[in-house]
Amino acid sequence: MTGHSPAFASLRVVELADDPGGELAGKLLADLGADVVKIEPPAGVASRTAGPFADGHADDPDASLEFWTYNTSKRSVVLDDTAAGREVRDELIAGADVLLSTATPRQLAAAGLDLDALLAAHPALIVVSVTPFGLTGPWAEHRSSDLVGLAAGGLLNSCGYDDHAIPPIRPGGNQAYMLAASFAHCGLMLALIARQRSGHGQLVDVSMHESVAVSGELANPYWFYPKALVQRQTARHAQPVPTQPASFLCGDGRWVYFALILSDPRAWAATVAWMDDHGLAADLVEERYLELELRQREFGHVQELLEVFFLMQDSGTAYREGQRRGLPIGPMQAPEDLLEDEHLKAREFFMPVALPTDERRTALFPGSPYRFDAFAAAPTRPPRLGEHTAPVLAELAARRAVQHA
Amino acid sequence: MGVGSVATRMLADFGAEVIKIENRTRLDTPRKLPIYKGEVRSYGDEDADPDPDKGGLFNNYCRNKLGVTIDMSAPEGRELAVELIRHSSVVTENFAPGVMERWGLTYDYLRTLVPEVVFARMSGYGHSGPHHQFRSYGPIIQAVSGLTFVSGLPGREPSGFGLSYMDNQAAYYNSAALLMAILHREVTGEGCEIDVSAVEAGVTLLGADLLDVTVNGQPTRRPGFPRGNRLEHPAAAPHGVYPAQGDDRWLAVAVFDDADWQRFVAAVGAPAWTADPRFATHADRVAHQDDLDAAVAGWSAGQDAHEAMAVLQAAGVAAAAVQNPQDLAERDPQIAARGTFFELDHPVIGPALFEGSPMQLSRTDADLWRSAPLLGEDNDHVFGTILGLDESRRAELAAKGVI
Repeated sequence: MTGHSPAFASLRVVELADDPGGELAGKLLADLGADVVKIEPPAGVASRTAGPFADGHADDPDASLEFWTYNTSKRSVVLDDTAAGREVRDELIAGADVLLSTATPRQLAAAGLDLDALLAAHPALIVVSVTPFGLTGPWAEHRSSDLVGLAAGGLLNSCGYDDHAIPPIRPGGNQAYMLAASFAHCGLMLALIARQRSGHGQLVDVSMHESVAVSGELANPYWFYPKALVQRQTARHAQPVPTQPASFLCGDGRWVYFALILSDPRAWAATVAWMDDHGLAADLVEERYLELELRQREFGHVQELLEVFFLMQDSGTAYREGQRRGLPIGPMQAPEDLLEDEHLKAREFFMPVALPTDERRTALFPGSPYRFDAFAAAPTRPPRLGEHTAPVLAELAARRAVQHA
Repeated sequence: MGVGSVATRMLADFGAEVIKIENRTRLDTPRKLPIYKGEVRSYGDEDADPDPDKGGLFNNYCRNKLGVTIDMSAPEGRELAVELIRHSSVVTENFAPGVMERWGLTYDYLRTLVPEVVFARMSGYGHSGPHHQFRSYGPIIQAVSGLTFVSGLPGREPSGFGLSYMDNQAAYYNSAALLMAILHREVTGEGCEIDVSAVEAGVTLLGADLLDVTVNGQPTRRPGFPRGNRLEHPAAAPHGVYPAQGDDRWLAVAVFDDADWQRFVAAVGAPAWTADPRFATHADRVAHQDDLDAAVAGWSAGQDAHEAMAVLQAAGVAAAAVQNPQDLAERDPQIAARGTFFELDHPVIGPALFEGSPMQLSRTDADLWRSAPLLGEDNDHVFGTILGLDESRRAELAAKGVI
């Protein structure tokens, strides 16, 4: 196993983050080997009380799985919001390469943090601010959440069911925050590369709202070019007009995603041959179906035959057999299915991580989203609340002693 | 298709010289997708003989890049690609696994051309493992990684994502990986090979439900899961998307605690139903969410979504209209103030809006210097100025169909 890159292992990061966007941005750095010191209030950040909790540890701030998810590999320091606490915080920032913050301008002012002054006092410091709407603009102090962020940024408009009596449905997993974290991470890397060359740090101001607004894939181009508004459709692309369903129930009660593009003659031939091998192609084998117009006119009939075809097999077989025939098809796997996924197993994607509640126990955590042959990225145990307060204060004292010697 | 283009777009936006190599006879999919000005067609309803310079999605993905054409099936084409690599410091690809190998363009070989090369491989499943040859695009990645399953109403099929969400997210992770590898090289002088699997990136985005499985053995195939628009961790109510005035217009509201609720009640004018004892405390509201949602919907249905958003936000309640792209482009004052969308002219398409950067760097400006290249637009510049091929050689290669 290769070790961490010195480019990241040498980084000192102070994290003042209280939402999944800022916390994931910090985790991505910490998993690369950076020393991420997470400053928390005495009661802990919000994710420590969110839950779900590790079994037998209800309401234990060291046992919230929401916290574990976004805070691996960090150190936790508890500081009171007092003059003395702020002094320690400011000393930590003074010794850091990166300050990661999720506070809005008003929250910064209330906390006694002036980002411009910090940058002026510490010219090599990089401040990554990742906030719901950005540090400027009329909505800078608007309140948000994952649901509200996805709604305001437009992504939610594309998600839901064919039946429009049902409201748009929020995808799972805090995706507005995940998008903000992606841009915070990229923005920081841009700033680190710039600093490597110039020696200067800078402010990276990331807006979750904009991160969502630029990530809708086809939705904005459909408005920018043909001035068409896409309509949400169950589990498949929102489009200007309705398309055929692509979710098929299999015999094992699980769903597969299979979008048959009728205009693709190769996909048509492969699908019909597959159905025919099971004796379920019916009249689709007839030559007249080679004509696109007929396929399009008869798509209801094609759809019914496909529904029967998938019901006659289990989702795992449909996945492997469809892929073997060159058709893009995928089972809608549940999180528990992933642990049995032969591909993820072979790539050793999941990694055992010691638990904050019992260091002798490990559980599988998702590994790194990227792999490098030259250096490693991997999660280690999330910190208990205030676990590193004493050692970090001791490090500060030692640094002070050296400076005064 | 989208992943490779969007991943390098971020580098191009911030000043990297990105040279996109295309094939004249097998057009890049975004060039063919029928997103045209003045002509509404669905994704999948492609023009049989598309104008490669008319596609809006390609324009969106390939701004600020140089574009050249090379026929990689011709030996002279592969030689040209090798010369271009010699003049580069980063090589990216998102072909099906095996294609680069077939051309001999392995990491080991690239290092003989450029010892400190960064070689980024972007694929659906990664470059090892039993499924590495599987075919995928956004919705398949979302299904296989679990993201689709965790999204929807309980007791129904998953609603998933109405977009190739993972095309964008995998692209962003690839951008980050490229930047990380470049920084590693700046510090150590050493290049590297990158393997990003979109499926794996997707799994990292599932959130705490995944650890609920691995730590607690709590399966997600259970009654009541997924949670639709409700929030369980932490419990919030009302937390949902409610109807507003107009056709298919909606308002998202998130009320997390008693203080939020008091503000919400005041903002909506404290109608009688807000005093109902079923909604008295946070625990009561969580316990009676069906009734609460119906009551909130009764109020919201008479409201304009944007006006309701303004009223609720003014009171300090997290709320937003479910905005559509027209709202973002024409109505959203935050997008306008921050200049998120910007306009560039294009020789065939004309002026068009682009999705800009959600990151504002105080010392590093984005360099938004051109719309997407026409097919082969930069052949003369790249093959002539950068590689030094004279005009007659370029004409010969063009006549043979190599470029």
